[in-house]
Amino acid sequence: MTITKTQNGAALTVKVDGRLDTMTAPQLESVVSSELGGIEKLVFDFADLEYISSAGLRVLLSAQKTMNSQGTMTVKNVNELVSEVFEVTGFTDILTIE
Amino acid sequence: MNNELKTIALSGRIDSLNAAETEKQILDDLQGISGVPLVFDMEKLDYISSAGLRVILRLKKQYPDISIINVKPEVYEILEMTGFTEMMTVEKAYRVVSTEGCEEIGRGANGTIYRIDRDNVVKVYNNADALEDIRHEREVAKLALILGIPTAISYDVVRVGESYGSVFELLNARSFSKIIATEPDKLDWCVSEYVKMLKKIHGTVVPEGKLPDMRETVIGWAEFMRPYLPSDAAEKLIGLVNDVPRDDHMIHGDYHTKNLELQGDEVLIIDMDTLAVGNPIFELASMYNSFIGFSEMNHANILKFQGFDFETGTKFWKKSLAAYLGTDSETVIESVEDKARIIGYTRMIRRSIRRGGLDDEERRKEIEHWKGELLELLEKTDSLVFGVSEIEVEADTENLPQVQSFVEEHIAAAECSPKAMMQIGLAVEEIFTNIANYAYAPDKGKAKVRVDVLKDPVAVSITFVDHGVPYDPLAKDDPDLTLSAEDRAIGGLGIFMTKKIMDDIVYEYRDGQNILTLRKNL
Repeated sequence: MTITKTQNGAALTVKVDGRLDTMTAPQLESVVSSELGGIEKLVFDFADLEYISSAGLRVLLSAQKTMNSQGTMTVKNVNELVSEVFEVTGFTDILTIE
Repeated sequence: MNNELKTIALSGRIDSLNAAETEKQILDDLQGISGVPLVFDMEKLDYISSAGLRVILRLKKQYPDISIINVKPEVYEILEMTGFTEMMTVEKAYRVVSTEGCEEIGRGANGTIYRIDRDNVVKVYNNADALEDIRHEREVAKLALILGIPTAISYDVVRVGESYGSVFELLNARSFSKIIATEPDKLDWCVSEYVKMLKKIHGTVVPEGKLPDMRETVIGWAEFMRPYLPSDAAEKLIGLVNDVPRDDHMIHGDYHTKNLELQGDEVLIIDMDTLAVGNPIFELASMYNSFIGFSEMNHANILKFQGFDFETGTKFWKKSLAAYLGTDSETVIESVEDKARIIGYTRMIRRSIRRGGLDDEERRKEIEHWKGELLELLEKTDSLVFGVSEIEVEADTENLPQVQSFVEEHIAAAECSPKAMMQIGLAVEEIFTNIANYAYAPDKGKAKVRVDVLKDPVAVSITFVDHGVPYDPLAKDDPDLTLSAEDRAIGGLGIFMTKKIMDDIVYEYRDGQNILTLRKNL
């Protein structure tokens, strides 16, 4: 998994490529827990995210909780498998998916 | 003569009357030979006086490495009294044992095993000059025992006619061949114990250089075939064997049911001289030959050799292979059998040709038959490597990639869609992570993962087994999907998702084990 961050003032885009699973989720977790200070607009770009497991969902949920109190969060370019995981777990209702 | 040492035979009586003459003869015999160990063979020596002993002492100055073998009891007494037994290696004469009328309980590539009394057996070596073979077998048996393989180690070397034998204690033991032949209802038990021992052997890592590499041997067999096969087939055969990765796990090399003994309730493996390291396919090839290959053209062979008939042998082989591979899938079993047959036929053809098989019409027919089968198999085989559909790993998330690639490899045969593959991968991650995080916490433990590809309907089944705290993941309530992000709990999603994307999940707690089986229809 690789994480690419692009910050523009209070807007942060986090592009996650590869697999977001038990092994890699802690890396994204550390971004979410320590780098969202002052961010009002958070975008996850999943164009090259191939796979997500519940470990990844947990990170997204905790990011969503943080952003609920300080701005907006959107998830974009979701592929079919990741989309199905969001569907099955009801995350389509919690997240703003573009 | 062995270049490494020089053997001098002494006979009759050596005393002050003939000591000088004996010394002269020995020195003549040693003309031009220096720096080698000397071995005095005293098999035919009845008496030696101090004059004779002084001859040996004088020789020792020039040839410091002297040993004495085959010493009769009365001569041994003299050597002991005079301190010779402390100065050099002195071996008593071998006890003579007769196997006439003894029951043959085992037969291997290098020898035959007879029971000589209630508690002891002797393995008589085919090779008349077998002392080196005996030493080798004792060494490898010791090595195996130290590495945890239950075996018997010989405690004495004896003469049996013109051959040598090694004696083992084997109390009231019965070979598995005998059990199969006389108690057909115990076949399944035999299969299970036979496979348990096989897995134990194949799970044993051998320190480098301690045992021969079977891969090298089989490459030799494949090279031998070059003049006897069409060149493209020969190249393919050699390539296939070369592509088998090196492996430092133990293989027995002659693993059939006559070499497995039940002593009380303990199972022992004997006949260790073929022990080697290598990929398990080499073992399966020799097993195939034992139960089917050698008797394929003449079903009576196996009856003569094992004491049970061809049908029983075939049944035993199939059941053992299925249990070893941990699958009931005919497709998987046959594909592994085909790989084993390639090496099996190669070995039989080489063996027969080397024993003059091409000069005999009957045997030439047999060779042609094997060759035909071999060519057909080579046509459709791209690798000799196979996978066992069950692995056991430390239940640690670190091992997740290993488990996932193991599962992927095994479902590849089912040709499922990339989507189904992903879903299965996801379910495996969720369940394995759960076991890793909770089953043994805060301690560590093992998890077993097994994959089966099912037919009618086509499906993949994955079973997880751990010995951790009893935990039924299905008993947990599903998360409430209607809650907002604020109210949703972080966690509990893995199992829920697994339930959604799999077609069936069954949990069972049995024999102290959590057993969770997932099924995905394809």
